[in-house]
Amino acid sequence: MNLLIPLMVIVPIICALFLNLLHKKDRTVKVIAIALALTLPLLPILANYGLHYFGGYAPLAQNSAISAGLPSLITGTALNTFHPAITYAFQDAQKLFIFILGLVALLAILVSLYETKRPSGVYGYMMFMGVAAMMAIILTDDIFNFYVFFEIAALATVGVVLVSQIKGNYETALKYMILGSIASPLLLLGIALLLGVTGNVNITDIMASLKSGVVDPQNPVLLMACGLIVFGWLYGSGLPPFHTIKSAIYSKALPHGAALLQAFSVFTFVALGIIIIRIFSYLPFSQMVILGVSLLAMILGITMALLQTDIKRMIGFLAVGELGYIGIGLGLGTVSGITAGLFQAVNEVVITAFLFIGFGAIYYQTGESDIRKLGGMMVKTPLVALLVLLAGFAMAGVPPLNAFQSKLMLIQSSIQAGVPELGVIMILLSIVTFMTFMKAFHAVFLRPKPADLEIKNEKIPKATILALLVFLVVCIVFGLFPQLATGFLQNLSVSLAGGMP
Amino acid sequence: MNLYDLIVKRIKEGQIGSDGPVTNVSTSAMLTAEITLISSILVVLIMLRLVNNVIMIVAFLVVLFAALVSMPLMPKLKREQNDSLSNMTFYVILALAIVITLFYWGSLNV
Repeated sequence: MNLLIPLMVIVPIICALFLNLLHKKDRTVKVIAIALALTLPLLPILANYGLHYFGGYAPLAQNSAISAGLPSLITGTALNTFHPAITYAFQDAQKLFIFILGLVALLAILVSLYETKRPSGVYGYMMFMGVAAMMAIILTDDIFNFYVFFEIAALATVGVVLVSQIKGNYETALKYMILGSIASPLLLLGIALLLGVTGNVNITDIMASLKSGVVDPQNPVLLMACGLIVFGWLYGSGLPPFHTIKSAIYSKALPHGAALLQAFSVFTFVALGIIIIRIFSYLPFSQMVILGVSLLAMILGITMALLQTDIKRMIGFLAVGELGYIGIGLGLGTVSGITAGLFQAVNEVVITAFLFIGFGAIYYQTGESDIRKLGGMMVKTPLVALLVLLAGFAMAGVPPLNAFQSKLMLIQSSIQAGVPELGVIMILLSIVTFMTFMKAFHAVFLRPKPADLEIKNEKIPKATILALLVFLVVCIVFGLFPQLATGFLQNLSVSLAGGMP
Repeated sequence: MNLYDLIVKRIKEGQIGSDGPVTNVSTSAMLTAEITLISSILVVLIMLRLVNNVIMIVAFLVVLFAALVSMPLMPKLKREQNDSLSNMTFYVILALAIVITLFYWGSLNV
């Protein structure tokens, strides 16, 4: 069943291409999009763990058919273990990440199909292409292949914003592309330097080169490569100084688009963060930089969220702040810390999508996202109000919801690692996150409805309610049974905490 | 002038030309953000104890003094974190310089 591994990338790409070709054929677009979106969370459940080799073969050490006829000059050296193909690794952590990404993509696509008057094939193309890119980013063990899909995800992000028809979307998309044109080439340069020094783009092989002493870990070119890759990481995930443009991008996308885009950011953060830890964890600065940037993201993201008046921008800044929690887990470098960080990543993807689609229902009804112009929506949509309130509780880490478990694990890990100050900051910022959410909740649902607020769509689509209920179920299940998620993350955490020479 | 009045004044300054009055909500949000920012930075500085206790105490006191003198910080911070491309590009280049210096020069010399 390893054939299902490449299908996780191929299915959304094929779907994207079909939707683009079928643009304006509304019913067909809807049927194909729903049918293929349903496969996104199903494929990782059905697939077996293993490796898939694109455009090549397994390492000679595992491939006796080829290695049998080769001289010992090749089989007796490091070449015997090198990966000549683009390798996709599907293990337990990837299974959970891809399932969650598939679920969020399915629900975001479903909501988009029912909240827009005419399903757009182009919009579907952008969403599916972004999902395909993220699947590849999670699966690939090849850093150049990672970069290719990183760029595709960035272009899909711009595409999702461009088709939103929200005022100012073109300008924001252009700014994102201009900043990307600074950061992306530098990431590519970092990868090129890495290739130049190690002769490899396969991450496992690069690690082996460093471990075996074939490459000097203190080689200045390698240090420069690390700096450039870290810089690309800041851009891809929306960490400071890219947090302003990232939150602007979320606010200029439609809520279902923003729900998907934040998932892209979180998984890029996790995937590239894992690559940095795997290759460069021997550098003392790598851990410090991850912790420092994460703290900065938390403090700037959450304090800036407090000052926003646009709900989508507010959630966007909160999403950046929540990235910091994941980064702290990764930066602690212990098994429990990394597990907690990865668990927080899974929770954040679900909760932020929950909030975007929840508040998106209000945007759908009113066409308004400025909290100063909203109010009284509790009377109109009590069920949505309840679900959004629970989403806010989840984000702030209120028990028994999922982020409570991951944040508690993070705080415990920081205390065990000898830095309880991080725990204090996380608690403090969780309280402020809750306050920020309550400010928006009060403005939108609890205070009297402004006289000039016009309700454009009385009825919220059932697909939206269904999506919110599914997110709530995931939040409750992971909150009550955290081992369902952490069990999948344990092996990866152990291997990452093992570190490098 | 107390902190609350200072914040209201700065919000009004920042809102010249933009719509909407200064509300209790915006002022209390700014005040909360201000307190959160300063207290978070001070707690972060306590982590310097892992390097040296004296450095931690000195840095803590210096930053506390600087924060008290230049309050309110959040209006300035908000102004800096706007959607201007020039601002964003400046901070992107600055971040690049810091990251490269830290990894390249720092790893070889520290």
